[in-house]
Amino acid sequence: MKTIFDLRNVSYSYVGKIDALKDVSLKIGLGEHVSIIGSNGSGKSTLLAILNGLIYPTSGDFYAFDNQITEEVFDSIKDNEFRTYFRTKVGFVFQNSDVQLFSPTVFQEIAFGPLQLNISPQEVTTRVENVLEMMQITKLRDRSPHTLSGGEKKKVCIASVLVNNPDVLLLDEPSAGLDPRTQLWLVELLQELGAAGKTIITATHDLEIIDQISKRAIVMGEDHRVKKDGPTIEVLDDMALLLSVNLVHEHMHFHGKTVHEHIHAHIDGHKHEHGNN
Amino acid sequence: MIPDWMKEVEVGPCKCSAVHHGKKGFVGKTIDGIFGFLEEAFVSESYSKRSGLLQGLDPRAKLVSILAVVFATSLIGDLKLLIFVYALTLLFAYLSKIDVGFFIKRVWLFIPIFAGIIATPMIFNIFIPGDPLIGVAYLGTGAHLGPLALPDSIYITRQGAVAAVIFTMRVATCVSAVVLLFITTPQQTLFKSLRTVGVPKVYVLTLEMAYRYIFLLMDLVREMYVAKKARTIKARGIFEEQRWVGGRMGYTLIRSLDMSEKVHMAMLSRGFSGDVKIMQEFKMHNRDYVAGAMAISLSVVLVLISHNIIRI
Repeated sequence: MKTIFDLRNVSYSYVGKIDALKDVSLKIGLGEHVSIIGSNGSGKSTLLAILNGLIYPTSGDFYAFDNQITEEVFDSIKDNEFRTYFRTKVGFVFQNSDVQLFSPTVFQEIAFGPLQLNISPQEVTTRVENVLEMMQITKLRDRSPHTLSGGEKKKVCIASVLVNNPDVLLLDEPSAGLDPRTQLWLVELLQELGAAGKTIITATHDLEIIDQISKRAIVMGEDHRVKKDGPTIEVLDDMALLLSVNLVHEHMHFHGKTVHEHIHAHIDGHKHEHGNN
Repeated sequence: MIPDWMKEVEVGPCKCSAVHHGKKGFVGKTIDGIFGFLEEAFVSESYSKRSGLLQGLDPRAKLVSILAVVFATSLIGDLKLLIFVYALTLLFAYLSKIDVGFFIKRVWLFIPIFAGIIATPMIFNIFIPGDPLIGVAYLGTGAHLGPLALPDSIYITRQGAVAAVIFTMRVATCVSAVVLLFITTPQQTLFKSLRTVGVPKVYVLTLEMAYRYIFLLMDLVREMYVAKKARTIKARGIFEEQRWVGGRMGYTLIRSLDMSEKVHMAMLSRGFSGDVKIMQEFKMHNRDYVAGAMAISLSVVLVLISHNIIRI
């Protein structure tokens, strides 16, 4: 499998003081489906931002498509071929939909990406129409983003990234704030895109969906280091690990009239025994 | 897990009753103001979607036409001619299925702010000397206001009053024309049409984005005020409240800066490299050319009349 992303001892700290990533080394291959899991503030979003070339490691090296990504290469004013290639290949769905929806209408929002690729306006229109139809949001075409619901915004965000037909998809907490039906729709969409050969990297703390959308899981600890990198099934079975990184917790809840406590994570079919207290 | 005092539950009947306590506080007023703004934006948007005369025109033709009329109006010095152009804007509002009452109210709401401050001094003989119309005060000889010498008596002059009325009418007509453009064109197309008068792409994009994020920041402010309202148990002093407002203003600024950085990242992520590429979806029809030509002709005629080249 061809390696597309290669992080070598990457650390990142905000304003040189607040650590977000510490000594992270990992490789991601073309067509892989990877989940990055960890509790709030463990560095998942920072890792995704580095993978998308939006911020640069404070120390360590990051290689994408066999090229080292540095500020000098990416932030130059002059047009550069590699950056255009990278932006075409890699799409990023942000956690906060509102930062991604900056155009006045849904149509213009989705058209923004392809317009940057120097495609003819007719082709842009066709592409946008296709994506609107695929995502079942044609009726939102002329709506302003601020009038959309949370689920609709997320759909428009995903549409605005998919319209560029990226080979690699980076998603930051894609299922957050979605109702169960939309969540299921999202999982099915990611599975379909995965089956088509796209590389899908999802940062999440929703343990319920990761075995459905990824075969490999990277666990980030609260100390901003990679705690485990392995098959998703194995990670989900390692209760001690999940407890240590704060992804599962001791939890009290009700079953009918019975109250009991047990280790709890939002994974399908978690096991527990009823006490009679 | 919870402390003992938190385990106490006491729901007894309330000994007080809900009574009216006078004027609304600043929190309530601000929330009302925000809803007012959103409602107005919504109403304007609904007008721009009606199938009226001006809504059917290409925004570029409309923009150029309205600018021509505004230019001509600013050169007119004749009151009758100004009234004629103002009446025309009302007629076009009616033909564009806009509630004429709403339209007049919207325009005249701003006139006292725009024109009133400038026009009011004009009516007195201190600024424009002329024939007395209404006496205001007798100051006697040698009256001074600091280093300024004042006339014996202050009165409203006929010439001053006429000049003030013409000035106010001119402003009202120009504002009417511009309001007509604003409420018959959806914001996003209006901004885009600015390209036709040579506004650079980057400004158009910035304008569009600024307009879009006003709503988001407005929502942020509304949520803060509603949260404040929910937790305000008893009224606090004015200085405390002012400090709170100042703090929230700073917070909103920081949030908007943070958001602008993230928006920029989201743009970069989708291939933005500093060169703005936007879609041009406009199509000019014959009616647009006719409308543009008519508006420009009318403007030329108005200018010629106002300069006495054509006499009516």
